[in-house]
Amino acid sequence: MSAWITGLGTIASLELRQRVRSVAWIVLLAVVFVLVGIVTLLLWFSLTRFGEGSLDNAAIYSSIVFFVLLVGTLVTPAVSGGAINAERDAGTLATTQVTLVSASQIVLGKFLAAWTIALTFLAASLPFIVLAVIIGGVPVTTMMSSLGVLVLELGVVAAIGVGLSGLQTRALFSVVTTYLIVAALSIGTLIAFGLGGLVNQTEVRNVYIGLDYSGEIDPETGLPEEIRCLEPQVSTYQAPRFDRVWWFLAANPYIVLADASPTTFDRDGYPEDLFGGIGLGIRQAQIPPETESTYDECEQARNGFKGSNDYPTPEEIYASTVPSWFVGLLIHVILAALALWGATARTRTPSKRLPKGSRVA
Amino acid sequence: MTTHAAIAVEGVARSFGDVHAVRDVSFEARAGSVTALIGPNGSGKTTLLLMLATLLEPDRGSIRIDGHDPVADPRAVRRVMGWMPDVLGSWATLTVRQTLETTARLYEIDAAQARVRASELIDLVGLQPLADQPTRVLSRGQKQRLSLARALVHRPGVLLLDEPASGLDPAARIDLRVLVRRLAGEGAAILVSSHVLAELDEMADEAVYIDGGVTASRASVEASRATVRDWRIRALDPAALTAALAELGIPTSGSDHLGVLVPVTGEAEAASLLTRLTAHGVGISAFGPAVGDLEHTFLDLAKGGRS
Repeated sequence: MSAWITGLGTIASLELRQRVRSVAWIVLLAVVFVLVGIVTLLLWFSLTRFGEGSLDNAAIYSSIVFFVLLVGTLVTPAVSGGAINAERDAGTLATTQVTLVSASQIVLGKFLAAWTIALTFLAASLPFIVLAVIIGGVPVTTMMSSLGVLVLELGVVAAIGVGLSGLQTRALFSVVTTYLIVAALSIGTLIAFGLGGLVNQTEVRNVYIGLDYSGEIDPETGLPEEIRCLEPQVSTYQAPRFDRVWWFLAANPYIVLADASPTTFDRDGYPEDLFGGIGLGIRQAQIPPETESTYDECEQARNGFKGSNDYPTPEEIYASTVPSWFVGLLIHVILAALALWGATARTRTPSKRLPKGSRVA
Repeated sequence: MTTHAAIAVEGVARSFGDVHAVRDVSFEARAGSVTALIGPNGSGKTTLLLMLATLLEPDRGSIRIDGHDPVADPRAVRRVMGWMPDVLGSWATLTVRQTLETTARLYEIDAAQARVRASELIDLVGLQPLADQPTRVLSRGQKQRLSLARALVHRPGVLLLDEPASGLDPAARIDLRVLVRRLAGEGAAILVSSHVLAELDEMADEAVYIDGGVTASRASVEASRATVRDWRIRALDPAALTAALAELGIPTSGSDHLGVLVPVTGEAEAASLLTRLTAHGVGISAFGPAVGDLEHTFLDLAKGGRS
């Protein structure tokens, strides 16, 4: 076991030594630092103009964290893609394969190295995240959960990048495919969720029992003096079934990031920060629309419009639904594991097949 | 020193879709000897070596490296086998020393020993001046030497060298030959593939001929060795030589700037020819086959294959 770990470490450090010394990495790191810095400044000047509420400060924090996720998921495919197929092209993979390290050590070692490099970009943006936490008065638990999700999400992208570089022959294609997967998760899930909800519609029947206002109106209450009910009016319309496609959205890394942060609620049960608001949206999507609803204005008038509000508060919705971040993260981890497993199978030697385009004799 | 077959290949075949790269290869290579793997470009040499090096699975047949099956137990084979590929890849940003140390680590050699071994190998292949330079600055020949050193990191008993001399200057070729002979002397089984036959002639004990993915049988190799071939004779006085040959009734097949070419069948006939010429008073300064053993056999086999 310890020999296995040592081999894994040798592969990871070999990979790091080859990549970290490159000028490209240092330049990218500097670019990320400056970019996140500029975005922090801009957010600061723009959002603080609207007021001084804690929501605004939390909004700055949420926006910075979202931006860091964006930058991280854009940079990671570039540093992880080509980890295996570029080495195969250069002829250095085969010389590694004939040593005592196994395919799983090679693939996992390269994944660990790619993840580590991705995390250096997170580290470069960390000062601004901490700044936003301190100035914005964001709870430390929120920061911990955001950082945790960021670390995991970068790992997922790194795993997909390394995995695809093992599965595809050309380095360029594997990098592009990794970007496409990141785009599919970040934007594609939004589109799929929206379209999926619209395609899956359910007919909703609404019964409205109105009040007859044609008689004498009591000037104090604004209600008729004699309460007479009208005939029930039945209307039907189509409601999108987001409850059937909510997990599309759950697979969105931004939603995972937002939903994972612990939400605090105000007295009326509404979330206090931006992440909580986004989380609430995805939680509400899980609840199927009521196909049968009745609004009895007449009945309510008899009760004097008391005790009629039985809608659940956001806090209650939160408590009654599945934590979507957990589902999303699970989907991501499964994707990452599949990519790494596939790459390991393709890298195992003696191989039955050669990648297309490889020289044979 | 044992003489059992360190490499034993029996009826091996491997195809890639419609391309039958290796059709039927059988041969043995003994420990302590250098075996040449000879064949034209595209004859399946590299594919065969990839199978021996545990990288490719054969479709049919069996391979044993030091008694281990590369498909069933690749790890056991990798422990005893060193492979120098024909593709010169190196980790560009690592230095020569780091490359060798890392390779040693990949062979589960501990860090301290890896350092010692790297230094030994740098001395062995003569890369001392470049030891701490990144490998991307190496020339082709220097990369070739690094590649050889990398194959030797774990002191393998079976060494597979794929075109080891291509890109080497004459001095480096001699160094390579001396090194290969020395390793064989120390008991390693060495399989060297090349299509530069003169180079193999000088270092190989045995030869395996492969063409179109098929190895030539021992019998056909013996037969080809014994066929008529030209010997080149140079005399102090070329006129006297021509006269002597005419007098002895020996036909010539031409002459070049190095001497007269005479067709001879087998070594015994060559020896008797030399005796007769010297007895005739011709001052012979050079007497030998016009083409190398391997080249002659190879060309004769190729001719046989076509006819």
